[in-house]
Amino acid sequence: MDYLIIGNCAAGINAVEAIRKKDQKSKITVISDENYPAYCRCLISNYLAGTHQEENLLLREKNFYKDNRMELILNKKVESVKPEDKRIVLSDGKELKYDKLLIATGGSPKFLGVEGEDKYGVFGFRTLNDAKEILKLIPRAKKVLVFGGGLIGLKAGYALKQQGMDVEIIVKSPRVLSQVTDNDSAEMVSRWLMENGIKIRTGLAPKKILGKKEVEGVLLDNEEKMNCQIIIIGKGVRSNMDLVKDSKIQTHWGIITNQYLQTNVENVYAGGDVAETTDLITGEPTINALWTAAAEQGRIAGLNMAGERKKYPGSIAANSIDFFGLPIISLGYVRVKEKGYEEFVRSQPKKYQYKKIVLKGKKLVGAVFVGNIENAGVYLALIRRKVDISGIKDILLEDWFDYSKVSELLEQKEGFRETVSLQGNPIKMA
Amino acid sequence: MKRLFVDIERCLSCRSCEIACAVEHSSSKDLFSSLQEEPRPRSRTKVERDTKLQTFPLQCRHCEEPYCIDACISGAVFKDSETGLVLLDEDKCVGCWMCVMVCPFGVIRPAKEKKIALRCDLCQDEEIPACVTACPTKALFFGELEDFKKRLSTRRKDVKLKNIWIT
Repeated sequence: MDYLIIGNCAAGINAVEAIRKKDQKSKITVISDENYPAYCRCLISNYLAGTHQEENLLLREKNFYKDNRMELILNKKVESVKPEDKRIVLSDGKELKYDKLLIATGGSPKFLGVEGEDKYGVFGFRTLNDAKEILKLIPRAKKVLVFGGGLIGLKAGYALKQQGMDVEIIVKSPRVLSQVTDNDSAEMVSRWLMENGIKIRTGLAPKKILGKKEVEGVLLDNEEKMNCQIIIIGKGVRSNMDLVKDSKIQTHWGIITNQYLQTNVENVYAGGDVAETTDLITGEPTINALWTAAAEQGRIAGLNMAGERKKYPGSIAANSIDFFGLPIISLGYVRVKEKGYEEFVRSQPKKYQYKKIVLKGKKLVGAVFVGNIENAGVYLALIRRKVDISGIKDILLEDWFDYSKVSELLEQKEGFRETVSLQGNPIKMA
Repeated sequence: MKRLFVDIERCLSCRSCEIACAVEHSSSKDLFSSLQEEPRPRSRTKVERDTKLQTFPLQCRHCEEPYCIDACISGAVFKDSETGLVLLDEDKCVGCWMCVMVCPFGVIRPAKEKKIALRCDLCQDEEIPACVTACPTKALFFGELEDFKKRLSTRRKDVKLKNIWIT
């Protein structure tokens, strides 16, 4: 059996480990279009901030590839997948055969599509190379403009602020994090960032990037000119799925997968930011492009590739960030727009404390925490397991709420004990 | 494989385990000196009360399929291949709180002042975890599953047991 994995990040590495758990002998090959062993992609902002060196970014021990007896092909892009005869074509024309394939190619930053975007000094923020390129410019730059108030943009801005840059975040929407968390908490985070020296301007977008070869400034859509030497684009990502566009593998926003993370073609699986899965809360197809989801998907896809039949329960939007020591966690469905939901909030804006829960009928579907994030995971478990919380609704916002209050509700849910117990074998006594 | 078990009927909520845990994870490992430390040492175990106000000691379950490992963005959380314990490499932890976000038991605590997550390591340096040594009623038990079962089976049959197991 030849396993082939395209992608060397969260999903790919977890797939390798899962396959090796079940199959010690077969050949595993991992292909990456980057030139590094697997690294912690989320930490490129720490690298950019200067708090982490390159060797601190390694996702696994140095001898991981050797210990797992696998071949790692770096710096090679996969041009196309030919599922009908189980082979892939690399950009240099070389071909590789497989028996089971995992596509975990991730995503690429979306750009603005404005004039001058090709100038030196305009960056996406996705890879270690992106961070290295930005770092090169730091000695001769002063002013950084970040377009986009999502997690990527804010993390890049936060890192550059720690490097002593003058950072200004420019968003089209009325606030930062508008896709990540609800308005009130986003407002709070926004205020916190400004208090810590990051400037934020809303309702504006770039029209043209100015400069000769290098970025010198930007023209905004209100005709205002701003000087800057670095521009970071944080406008979201698109799935890297060009490699399947001429094949029979079905795509939509991403590569469509079933509950076993298989594509419509036998022996071809997908996981991570390129895979479209089902949202646990809405039941709709979605891409929750998150490290956590990618790792879990890779692991389950790997097990299934190695012969198991393990279901992927679906992905859930869940994010945790910390800016200047203020933690923020947002879980599930929190930006309520339609009727049929109940929201309960406890907010102390001056103290940067915020807690909100969102209920639909008897179920918890979302929660936001700013400041005090203890026990956030208990809420996520309630959301994930679709627990009937009508009996404990009143105490959910309390600071003393914790697992002990819901242990019975959670433990009767199918699969919960198996996840946590000693080899799925809880003690039962009379 | 030795594990921590809770014989909940014996627990009096005295919280000696919490103090012992905090002291064990301080730099001085001494109760009085550790009180002077900055930041103050904190416990990784806790004793809560459920909705019926019954005592409820809570510790890391060292899960079979830990959510916290999937969630860790820095590769700091790992499963020890020999003991099966879920442990944290504190040097690698960046304080992103992803593990806090996903732990269904809420037993990973954010130490904001240190920017690392605090979690039970079953006192790797000690033969017996500090919480077990400190428990005055022997509600906490460290040993093999079979030995714990044996201990429970000596109880009066009419006493209804509600056991928590720790993996």
